[in-house]
Amino acid sequence: MSALATALAQVSETADRLSRLSARAHQNPYTLVDWPSAVDPDRDWYGTPEYVSLHGTPVWEGLDDTARRRVAFHEAAGFFSLNIHGEKALIQGLAARLYRSDLAGSAGYLHHFLDEENKHSVYFGGFCTRYARVHRSRQAPFGTDRPRDVDDLLFFAKTLIFEEIVDHYNRVQARDVRLHPLARFINDNHHREEARHLVFGRRLVTALWQAGQWDARTVAEIRDDLGRFVTATWRGYYHPDVYADAGLDDPWELAETAWSAPAQRAHRRRVSADCLRFLATAGVLTEEPADAF
Amino acid sequence: MRSDTEIRAELRTFVRRHAGQVAVTDDMPLFTLRVLRSVHLPELIILLERLRGAPIDVEQLRMGDFDGIDAMMASFGGRP
Repeated sequence: MSALATALAQVSETADRLSRLSARAHQNPYTLVDWPSAVDPDRDWYGTPEYVSLHGTPVWEGLDDTARRRVAFHEAAGFFSLNIHGEKALIQGLAARLYRSDLAGSAGYLHHFLDEENKHSVYFGGFCTRYARVHRSRQAPFGTDRPRDVDDLLFFAKTLIFEEIVDHYNRVQARDVRLHPLARFINDNHHREEARHLVFGRRLVTALWQAGQWDARTVAEIRDDLGRFVTATWRGYYHPDVYADAGLDDPWELAETAWSAPAQRAHRRRVSADCLRFLATAGVLTEEPADAF
Repeated sequence: MRSDTEIRAELRTFVRRHAGQVAVTDDMPLFTLRVLRSVHLPELIILLERLRGAPIDVEQLRMGDFDGIDAMMASFGGRP
C-alpha cells in the first residue's frame, strides 16, 4: 500500500465530511457573477494597498494615489494569474491521482477538489481576460524521477503551502471595504471554498508524512525542496510584467528591489507564519526556508 | 543589458550558492548530476530574465536548456 493510500484511509472521515459540505456549497461560476462591462483601475482599488508588493519601498512612497491604484489593479491580475497557474498544476496533479489503482476508493473527495479548483480558475480567468491579461507563469513544467511516495507528499505539501499563502491574501482582501465589490467577491468566494481544501491538506500532509518511511537523505531532500518551493512561490508575487503593465520603469530591477526590501521581507515572514508553524509542528520542516525572507 | 561575461559570472554565483560542496565547472550537466533540481528553476528563470532584460517563455523550455552554465549561455545568453 502506498503512503498516500494509507494517509487517505486515515483521513477518510474528514474527506467524507468535506464531500458533504462541497455538495451543499456546489455553485455555478458562469451565473454567480455579474461582470461589469468595464473597470476603472485609476479610480477603484482592486487589491489591498498594504499587500501590494511594492508597499514599503521607496518606489511606492513616490507614487500618487492614482498610480498606486493602478499598480494594485495590475497586481490583482498578477495575483489571480498566480492562482490560475497554481490551480492548473493542482488540477494536473489531482487528475493524475484520480482512480490511480491504489487510490480508487478515495476518488470521492478528489472529484470535489478537482471540480472546485477548475471553478476557481473560471473566476480568476474571467477577471484577467476581461479587464487585464493572464500573466505568464515561471514554473517550468518538467517532471521528476523521484519515487512515487515522495512525489505524492511533495505534491500535497506544495499545494498546501501555495493555498495557505493565497488564502491569507484572500481573507484580508475579502474583508477590505476599500476594494471594488468584484475584487472582494472573488477573494471571498475563493477563501470560502479553500477553507475545505486547507482542512483536507493539513490532515493529509500530516498523515502522509507519518506514513512515509524515508531515509535521512530523502528526508533532507524533501525539506530542501519544500523550503525552495516557499521561496519560489513568493518570488511569483514580484512579477516584472505587472510592473511594466502599471507603467513602471525597469521592471526586472524593480522586482529585485522589492523582493529585497526590508518591509517586504517582514511581510512575507508574517504571511507565511501560520503555514510554517503547521509544517514545523507536523515535523515536515525543521528550519525556516532559505532565502524566502 | 549585461555582457555575456557578466551573465556567466552571475550564473556561477547562483549555482555555487546551491551546489553545496560540489566543485562546479561551466560544462557540468547540473540537472543530470542533480547539483540543481527542478525546484530551483523558478528562481533561475527569474535571474536569467533579469540578467538579459527579457522574458523567457517557460512553455517552450526543455530541461537541456538549463543543464549547465554553458548550456544556459547558449540558450539564454546575449540579446534575445
